[in-house]
Amino acid sequence: MSFSTFVTDKAGLQKLFEAIISKHETYAPVEKFGKYDYKKVSSLKECDPDSPIAMTMSVKPLFFPRSSKIMKYESNSAGTSVSETEDDHLAVPRVILGVKHCDARGLQVLEAVNKWDYIDSDFLKRRADTVIFSSRCDKADTHCFCTSLDYDVENLDAMDVALVNGSGGKIYVQARSEKGENFLKESLDQQSAVGSQQPAMDDIKKQYEAFAASFRLKMDYKDVNEKMSKRFNSPAFEEASRNCVSCNTCAFICPTCHCFKISDVKIKDTGVRYKSYDSCNNVYFTLEAGGHNPRPAKYRRWRQRSMHKFVFYKERFGVNLCVGCGHCAISCPVNISIFDVVNHVASSPLES
Amino acid sequence: MDYSNQIRDIAAKLFAEGKIDVFVGYRMSGFDDNQVPVVITDPKETSVLVFTEKSVFNLTNYLKADHTRNKKVGVVVKGCDSRSLNLLLTESQVKRDKLYIVGVACEGVVDDKGNKMQNCMECFIPDAVVFDEMLGKPQGKKDYIVNADITELATKGLIERGKYFEEIFENCIRCNACRHSCPLCYCAKCCIDQETSTLYNGTNTSSSAFHALMTWSLHLAGRCVDCRNCEKACPSHLPLHLLHKQNEKVIYENFQNHLAGVEEGDRGAFYKYSLKDPDDFIM
Repeated sequence: MSFSTFVTDKAGLQKLFEAIISKHETYAPVEKFGKYDYKKVSSLKECDPDSPIAMTMSVKPLFFPRSSKIMKYESNSAGTSVSETEDDHLAVPRVILGVKHCDARGLQVLEAVNKWDYIDSDFLKRRADTVIFSSRCDKADTHCFCTSLDYDVENLDAMDVALVNGSGGKIYVQARSEKGENFLKESLDQQSAVGSQQPAMDDIKKQYEAFAASFRLKMDYKDVNEKMSKRFNSPAFEEASRNCVSCNTCAFICPTCHCFKISDVKIKDTGVRYKSYDSCNNVYFTLEAGGHNPRPAKYRRWRQRSMHKFVFYKERFGVNLCVGCGHCAISCPVNISIFDVVNHVASSPLES
Repeated sequence: MDYSNQIRDIAAKLFAEGKIDVFVGYRMSGFDDNQVPVVITDPKETSVLVFTEKSVFNLTNYLKADHTRNKKVGVVVKGCDSRSLNLLLTESQVKRDKLYIVGVACEGVVDDKGNKMQNCMECFIPDAVVFDEMLGKPQGKKDYIVNADITELATKGLIERGKYFEEIFENCIRCNACRHSCPLCYCAKCCIDQETSTLYNGTNTSSSAFHALMTWSLHLAGRCVDCRNCEKACPSHLPLHLLHKQNEKVIYENFQNHLAGVEEGDRGAFYKYSLKDPDDFIM
């Protein structure tokens, strides 16, 4: 099924955004302490949908919150009763502006694990109730490598509406899903539809080519997948992770990491159970109640992290868990990039 | 400030003489002009070592890691780093006879944008205070300056300050990167990791972040050396130095001008008793 493309300019786009903000519950990147995080906005002035990728947190917490209440419990002489909580994060129909392509892809990748085994209905409901506006970057950042991974950045269908900067100040607004198509038809002037006119399509393609040429990092993911799957016992993991300080930042800001811990906030006989982020780089992550820790060394935790991104998830769901956003390398206090780690391991000699 | 050649020579010599098993220094990141820490175990790799005003990270954090513990280690320290090393030595976390310390008379380091860092502009101990070998010309101790941000915050009202700190706690995502990157945090089980505690509980609610950050900063009161590893690690770019610098100011004013780790054998303000310590809160 093909979706519509509309053409507008900067003023037109601003008008569209303002109309969206006034009509719908809208989230967009808001700056605080030099870093952008997705927050609820009431006017376009508060936010910056064109926030720089290196300074923007992932959109994941709007779907998988950093902490969410999962249940309430109460004990009394009659026993213990468990009840549902009203989660503040459960979705109402909403629009998110300024999502990056890699971030939107992260949500698409996460759908696989949320639909598998235990079905996370909260995550799926939040995604179903959200219209995502995603703008394609014009230039790659130092740590970006999204074009090297197993998804078509040019025709990505992870978002509902894609925005592309064309030549001469034109901005193309493309629907990428049925939800996006319906949303645009309601809110945009039909006169500006370009259908599939050749000049517009060429312009969009040209923008992509210039964007794809701006990447510093390039790799062959199939080669990395195959080589890494044979190098579980490679000493290269130890070499690559030697200067990691195990600070866990990489997992907390990753758009696809989805490990969590359960914690109780209990006062006397009543309590609330929370589900919050956790990180496999944390030494306590695999610590068992009896005191045994199957991953006590740092390199083992790094092996888990990089193998999960490039081997285990791929084997189970057919896609890489890494989306190439480079957030881990940007936030890392010692600039370790997962790109360097997996390439170092893949190029290490094979142990016999 | 460029001691790259000297540090390469020293590291190569130490490996050749068998004085060290591991050398902790800096190398170029490989993609921009910033530097990243490097832990060298192979004597052939010493050629990657560099030291310029881009050598920002406090390397004493690595002295607690698996591959340096109980080994002979060579390490490069600036003024602030050597103060944290001093404290680690007093607190028996590292052994002096297993260390070879290359001290640097630091002229200040710069951030990503090339501006001199705030802690360097206010630095009062630029030279390494504990070392086996000193690089550069020592500049001597300077006067203690109260942090500019603390001075500015003090001019604001209580409610305004409260709101500012509330914003910090709201933007904290509880990844604990500040604690992990701190050279002086080495507790085997940190109290803020408790998942069943009503105060810390592992969630990223504002109250949990408040308790975790305040406990952390009070544990570092009189010990923090203002190396700003925590701020470098914070993914939310929170101004965490405010918590520590306020403590430092209060301790300097009340505990006989105590500054953490400046003297060898320093135990931190709260770990020693003096008759001059303030007691007006009792009577």
